[in-house]
Amino acid sequence: MTRTLVTRIRDRAAATPRGVAMREKRLGVWHEITWASYWDSVVDVAHALLSLGVQPGDRVAIQSENRPEWLILDMATVAIRGTTVGLYPTNPSAETDYLLTHSGACVHLAEDQEQVDKVPDVADAPTLRTIIHVETRGLRTYDDPRLLPWDRLVELGREHRAAHPGAVEALLEAAELDDVITLVYTSGTTGPPKGAMLTHRNAEFALSTVLEKSPFTDPAPGPKDLTLSYLPLCHVAERVLTTWYNAGAGTQVNFAESIETVPQNLREVQPTLLFAVPRIWEKLLASARIKLDSATWFKRRHARFWLARADRMGQTLAANGGRHTLGTRLVYAVGWVFFYRALRDRLGLRRVRHASSGAAPIAPEVLQFFMGIGVPMHELYGMTENTAIATANRPGRVKLGTVGETHEGIEVRLDDQTNEILTRHPAVFAGYWQDPEATANTMTPDGWLRTGDVGEWVDGTHLRITDRMKDIIITAGGKNVAPSEIENGLKASPFVKEAIVIGDGRKYLTALIGIELDTVGAWAQKQNLAFTTYRDLSEKPEVRALVQSVVDEVNTRHNPVEQIKRFQLLPKELDHEDGELTATQKVKRSAIDAMFHDLVEEMYAGAAAGSTGGAA
Amino acid sequence: MTTLMKGTRWGRPELYTDYRQEMALLNTRSKKAGTIAIIALAAVLPLTVADDLLAILYAGLILAIGAIGLNLVTGYAGQVSLGHAFFVGIGAYTAAVISGDPDDRRLGYGIELMPVWLLGAGLAAALCGALIAPVATRLRGLYLAVVTLGLVFIGQYLFREFREISGGAEQSRRAAEPTLFGMNLTEDGAWTEEQKLYWFGLGLLIVMAVLARNVARSRIGRALQAIRDRDVAAGVMGVDLTRYKVIAFTLSSFYAGICGALLYASIGSFTPERFGLLMSVQFIAIVLIGGVATISGTIMGAMLIALLPRIAGELPAFVPFLSGSPSEHPNVFEFQEVMYGVLIVVFLLFEPRGLFGIWHRVRTYWKSFPFSY
Repeated sequence: MTRTLVTRIRDRAAATPRGVAMREKRLGVWHEITWASYWDSVVDVAHALLSLGVQPGDRVAIQSENRPEWLILDMATVAIRGTTVGLYPTNPSAETDYLLTHSGACVHLAEDQEQVDKVPDVADAPTLRTIIHVETRGLRTYDDPRLLPWDRLVELGREHRAAHPGAVEALLEAAELDDVITLVYTSGTTGPPKGAMLTHRNAEFALSTVLEKSPFTDPAPGPKDLTLSYLPLCHVAERVLTTWYNAGAGTQVNFAESIETVPQNLREVQPTLLFAVPRIWEKLLASARIKLDSATWFKRRHARFWLARADRMGQTLAANGGRHTLGTRLVYAVGWVFFYRALRDRLGLRRVRHASSGAAPIAPEVLQFFMGIGVPMHELYGMTENTAIATANRPGRVKLGTVGETHEGIEVRLDDQTNEILTRHPAVFAGYWQDPEATANTMTPDGWLRTGDVGEWVDGTHLRITDRMKDIIITAGGKNVAPSEIENGLKASPFVKEAIVIGDGRKYLTALIGIELDTVGAWAQKQNLAFTTYRDLSEKPEVRALVQSVVDEVNTRHNPVEQIKRFQLLPKELDHEDGELTATQKVKRSAIDAMFHDLVEEMYAGAAAGSTGGAA
Repeated sequence: MTTLMKGTRWGRPELYTDYRQEMALLNTRSKKAGTIAIIALAAVLPLTVADDLLAILYAGLILAIGAIGLNLVTGYAGQVSLGHAFFVGIGAYTAAVISGDPDDRRLGYGIELMPVWLLGAGLAAALCGALIAPVATRLRGLYLAVVTLGLVFIGQYLFREFREISGGAEQSRRAAEPTLFGMNLTEDGAWTEEQKLYWFGLGLLIVMAVLARNVARSRIGRALQAIRDRDVAAGVMGVDLTRYKVIAFTLSSFYAGICGALLYASIGSFTPERFGLLMSVQFIAIVLIGGVATISGTIMGAMLIALLPRIAGELPAFVPFLSGSPSEHPNVFEFQEVMYGVLIVVFLLFEPRGLFGIWHRVRTYWKSFPFSY
């Protein structure tokens, strides 16, 4: 029979029934869930789904913050050969409608009242029969017949399990490698989201690659490793790292209370494997800087001294592929006693043995900072359509600014004309759900996946991503500019949260810049600058001058064509609900263009012919 | 699972997987190690320290027990009591009466079994506390302080005039002599009297301190703190004010009684005049200097106050205008009297959280390292 994620859980539950599978924090205490009880819940819920009439191939949707029920329902669905559809808890109502109707889900888990309120009416979603909810608060007066509390679901499962023992096991045996286990809707910076179909084959290949064929740590991830689960589970990276690693390697999953409490939870859990998106790394770096700067005199001087050493070590490590030299090892050993150990402990990174960044480009300065204080940082590359597995920086062979080397058993090449990155391997997805046209556009006839990213080889081994293909700016002067590099340079400053470089068809480059409220706020306080709101702060001439200095600094690193000639500060923080960001916090350029059109035009107002002239 | 869990907990002091762990007295490894180290240090101290200093330290240990009692009622429950000396006196006389010589002209039952007179002293004081408590439920703040002040004067009068017990004004009475496992602690043997008493006091203090800590972090302790912060609000939350104030006074007096029973074991005798206002002020000073609503702070404060005469005695060597002889002015004995007041004023002004506050700041400095918060 085929080995799947679910059989892996079953086998682990049999081998180490009392081992910890996951922890969830309730009322200040981390409650542990053992493998035996995890597996028991999966079977119960799988039976419940059967009793609700879920057939193999049916879709079960989940819109919830990360919590054990997410994993249990996900694995229960896969156990009976169904397909899980993950929705972002931050998806606005309209997107929820679209995703539920497009996927044709028959069962939907809406975490609480907020999520239940987003579920469309019966008329709009004819396939949806049952809405499971975990938190009952505020829902008592709801009389929607589709509602079903989680406890009742588990009861249904127990009854069905007693009446039909072995029903789930039979389906488990019948599972095939090409069963679609999940639809991962891509965030859709352009157009509506598309549902990428991932199969057992994809999952097994991805797991065997990172755990067995070319494990990224030594020893490979195992039951002694702890991870913190805080990124949305519907995103492919978090799903792989939380649900699949947990099933495949037995890592202990710890659910963060919310995205706001991540720093606190990191300190408590002290994970050993940590994946974060650049936004989180930037935030960690910024908050460390603020806290160190606002410490008492001695602590500040102390920190400055050791951070200067860390900076030097970071450079040496970066030049050395992440390997220590004898010199840095000695300096680090002393610094560990006096500074780095405590700093890493406060940041929750003390026991991290493999840290990684992915899902968006990150500034090398950020990676270098963490390498300097002793956190082994690695940038990875992958996307939904290839199950988040393509290339990775390997320990000891890190090249900053690249996304690393190809995994074993994976083919990566660049398109001859466009330099687009193409990948081919068994983890490439099975196609977009009910969208053969989009699938055909993404796949070449001989099985290569078009990633939509433009890249180049560095030293023939490491891949460097230039930019998203559709983001490449062609200025009025005909120059190709990759905006993400400039944007990341700007975002590496602790004061800059968002940077959007504009200049397609224009005479020169400009940027819309959003400030980081926390850091700029702290800075303003130090300057005795009173402010009320984000907008008020953004409009201060002093803040403008501060950002100008950041822009000038970045400009010195680029040739004149790639320099930001003018910029405007965004009057508000970008937000998913307002349609400016995708659920993964990526900027939707089209929406920004429309929303801040006036700001953009202002920047080109001086050069009247800017938008038309020169194009010929 | 427990073995697996141990491995996971190592290096993750804040990962509490059950409520017990979080509420444990020694919830981190460093606390555990620190406490063991301090206790070990305190236990070997008598082997290296001179006997006269040990006697002072013994008095400090016993004072700490009494002060913990005052801290329960004043620090935790916020009921200012100036009458602590009264309860200490009750304890001292009860113990002396129970264990006293039956053939003496004063009352004595000759029961030398320590648990009997020690518990008896505590219970007698606790009973008095329970009788006084109803007053406390009707008064608060300054009024309660004045009423408890009255208690000291009533006590002074009683102890002086109840001749069958005390023998009268300025008459000393033999203190109860602690015996343990058939060994009289107040006689020299393989170990000197001071060493044995010190060890006994240390053991008893640890037991009493842990008991008090447990009370403070239990339902009772939370109720007391709610009353301290605002009795009306506590009542609204469902805290039974009368009940908890009675508990606070009873418990506090019990500690005072134990303290009284043992305080004079090393000196051997005491007079009624001992239990005056000065003693009450001394206890208040210990609580304020040590730290309000902390047990460990109280112990630090008691040690400091007990050592104060010794410290003052050393002063003439450093401060030229201070004389060591009682006939010259200013002398150390005058200075010593003033010191209680000065220390209280200084601590209230500059370190309102007491010695514990200083320790707390030091700890926070390193705990938050390399940040400041």
